[in-house]
Amino acid sequence: MVQVKKLKDGSRQIILTPQQFDEITKILSELAAKTKASTILLADISGQLITQRGNTDDINTAILSALAASDFAATSEMAKLVGEDAKFKLLFHEGEKRNVYLSNVGDNFFLVVVFDVSVTLGLVRIYTKKAIQNLINVFETSDKGEGADKIIDQDFTSMLGDMLDESFK
Amino acid sequence: MFINWALQEINLKIVYYGPGMSGKTTNLEYIHSKLDPSLTGELVTLKTKEDRTIFFDFMQIEVGRIKGKKPKFNLYTVPGQVYYASSRKIILNGVDGVVFVADSQKDRMEGNIETLLDLEKNLQAMNQSLENFPWVIQYNKRDLPNAESIEVLEKKINLFNVPYFEAVAIKGIGVFDTLKAIINLVVQHVQKQI
Repeated sequence: MVQVKKLKDGSRQIILTPQQFDEITKILSELAAKTKASTILLADISGQLITQRGNTDDINTAILSALAASDFAATSEMAKLVGEDAKFKLLFHEGEKRNVYLSNVGDNFFLVVVFDVSVTLGLVRIYTKKAIQNLINVFETSDKGEGADKIIDQDFTSMLGDMLDESFK
Repeated sequence: MFINWALQEINLKIVYYGPGMSGKTTNLEYIHSKLDPSLTGELVTLKTKEDRTIFFDFMQIEVGRIKGKKPKFNLYTVPGQVYYASSRKIILNGVDGVVFVADSQKDRMEGNIETLLDLEKNLQAMNQSLENFPWVIQYNKRDLPNAESIEVLEKKINLFNVPYFEAVAIKGIGVFDTLKAIINLVVQHVQKQI
């Protein structure tokens, strides 16, 4: 499954293999085609964008996922306040031209679907539900992904230091 | 932390934490104004009419590729006001490192300590603790006449002897030193965990 490692200090590390990334991208492309969504994002609950599909040139998707994650988290708090034990599973924002549909994907991820008001919500719901199931299946498939140690070694750390000096002059 | 092997990307989340009006947003604004536009995205700030951060500020920065890998740093601030406690908890979700921006003014000491305790409480809710978490302190507003001495600030705030920086964020003094320090600390911390 997608490695969601709990580190010694309790922090969380999410590692996605190229195969999983390909499969996720495929699922999102299919969802985009079926729903005619203008933009689709998959992000983790801390707001990190994982992947995107559709028209993403005009939208800063890093910001969109950060905002969507907070939107989600804020509603979870709201759920608690009104006595709902589980998290709200989905959020829907209705606009004049565009609608935004957000839905949980398991405990750690969520989907953002941006679509034109001419597309019916029911259609988006049906296909998103299906895509979520497929995504969860991908997350649960076993893999032998490489860990963070393959990226962050001594070399990387010192080179990063140099690059920071260069960028922050 | 999120690693995407297909895109060779590594994403880290850094949160600027501190009492209200201590200069967290000012730090981000300075970084945004000085960094090469190719390295930084837009700075989003969710502010109230009174210029207080209501939810968070967010900005993503990159430094180019290192050994083919692309590190991305997601910088967030939290709202300092006491009544935005839930927003602060939410934003800490998945955090890799914290910059604690303290207000050096004598009459803000209590606010600093209260916020630090609030940070510890929120970290503990995620099974973490200031004792072994990567964080640095920035003593901001060093230029103000009623600034407390570093000795006193250190004694009262720097309980775990983490790196600290003196800053005048509005003029950019100490801003990049702080950012560099937290990034290095986070990366070293990740290495240690492996």
